[in-house]
Amino acid sequence: MNSREKYVKWVMLAPALLILIGTTLYPFLYSFITSFRFWRLTRSAEPGAFVGLANYVRAFGDAGFWNSVWVTVLFTIISVTLSMAIGLAIALILERATKLNTFMKSLLIFPFAMAPALKGFSWRFMLNPDYGILDAMIDFVFPFWSDVVWLGEPYWAVFWLAMTEIWGWAPYIALVFIGALGALPQETVNAAKVDGANTFQVFWHVTLPQLMPIVIMVGLLKTIFSVKMFDQVVTLTGGGPGRATETLNFYVYNQGFKFYDMGYASSLAYILVTTMFIFAFIYVRFLMKGEQN
Amino acid sequence: MAMTRDEKFWEGMRWAGFGATFLFMAFPIFWMILTSFKVARDAYSTKVFFSPTLNNFISIFQDPYNFGPLLFNSVVVSFSTVAVAIPAATCAAYAFSRYQFKGKNALMVSVLSSQFVPPVVVVLPFFILFKNLHLLDTRLALVILNLSFVLPFAVWMIKGFIDALPPDIESAAVVDGCNRFQVLRHITLPLIMPGVVTSAVFGFIQSWNEFLFALILTNQKAVTLTVGLMGLHTDKGILWEHMAAASMLIMIPIFAISFTIREYFISGLTMGAVK
Repeated sequence: MNSREKYVKWVMLAPALLILIGTTLYPFLYSFITSFRFWRLTRSAEPGAFVGLANYVRAFGDAGFWNSVWVTVLFTIISVTLSMAIGLAIALILERATKLNTFMKSLLIFPFAMAPALKGFSWRFMLNPDYGILDAMIDFVFPFWSDVVWLGEPYWAVFWLAMTEIWGWAPYIALVFIGALGALPQETVNAAKVDGANTFQVFWHVTLPQLMPIVIMVGLLKTIFSVKMFDQVVTLTGGGPGRATETLNFYVYNQGFKFYDMGYASSLAYILVTTMFIFAFIYVRFLMKGEQN
Repeated sequence: MAMTRDEKFWEGMRWAGFGATFLFMAFPIFWMILTSFKVARDAYSTKVFFSPTLNNFISIFQDPYNFGPLLFNSVVVSFSTVAVAIPAATCAAYAFSRYQFKGKNALMVSVLSSQFVPPVVVVLPFFILFKNLHLLDTRLALVILNLSFVLPFAVWMIKGFIDALPPDIESAAVVDGCNRFQVLRHITLPLIMPGVVTSAVFGFIQSWNEFLFALILTNQKAVTLTVGLMGLHTDKGILWEHMAAASMLIMIPIFAISFTIREYFISGLTMGAVK
């Protein structure tokens, strides 16, 4: 390699790296510093005094913050487990490469490609107690639920918020699993069948264990994106009823852009970042392991 | 080979599941499409049969909703984001794929991790910066911030396609005295075109659907379609027939392009997450 070759790679990397330093590293560090300052934009456009850990300490005594942590955990658990389960089920249904299944796989792109903000509005419309089609269907099948105002009950509101997310993600997860299922060796499945295992036993004891690495990867990725979810809170519930669907992300947004408390919002954002990076760290470890093989 | 009872049962379940999947996936979209052709009175009902109208599509472009400029903003912002992100990402992906150097892994991990920074963390400092630079409510501000999530994803996706290409293909050209940029431009790029197009489409969709940045950084001149929906949430409640028509405006271009390249789209999309 001559000396010119040596620099070529850096010339190639420079534009992307410079953009990422500007759009990610800079705000990342700026927020970190701001999280140690007192700064209300309503009082001053200039950052205020450094207050040490005061913003972080404040968070621990803030009931609204703890509520948002709980909502985020609940939302994440529901949306991750259900979108994985439904995604896997769809993958098993569409596993064989028939014409009909290929058509269906193309349809699966649509919910995934739909704007999240729109998902929130469309489910809100369908869940309306007076003219919502989904509400009408549920009332028809389960008459004892006919009085429930879906987005007016705290736990149901979280459930439907998760549902908008599941609707978009289950198809994507299904597509990933279909790819993974196709790459599994068939010999073990056939051997198990010869040994007299039924369909469910084959799935549970042969297919699922082989699929496990992908299941873990997708689970981590989905967890990261569930913690990041924001748009549907605004368009489906607006955080309500009360504070029942205020996720941590939404709470940061409110502190920053409704109350203009930049210092406090930054410290909350950093608590969010720390949580996310635990999952991201594990995910990246897994992915890089695959990279080296 | 005759099916056993067990196999017959699961075959039946498969068909039932197929139907359920179809309903679950298609119904919310179908219902939005239907509603967009309804007059207001029908929109606020569960009617399936009604006399259709195109008025909703006309009135969202008129006062007071004016979706025309919003559509323009969405188009300009999404195209500009992709136009900057894809060339930069392709070069970076090539360097990551073809060169070994100190700190490469750390750098690749940073690029990957930058996707996981929550958008709200990114937007806090930029809100202040753009305020000081008088860039609030501009399309440029949105393009800059959209790059923060479109670029890292594109680098990883395109890198996957270059990795899959044997380096030998390029060596002949190197021997012939082409420099690396010429190799990338004339040999590699044509071969990885499907990957580049897929990541461009994916980046376009992400920018087109982006909501949080536009919600915070725009209020009048640079408002995009997704944020424009909020304007249909009036004192009189949500105007669902208009909402549905505006939804079509957001959904149809995205559905059309992703359906056109669906095969590349599916393989590229699933490759980005798990190798």
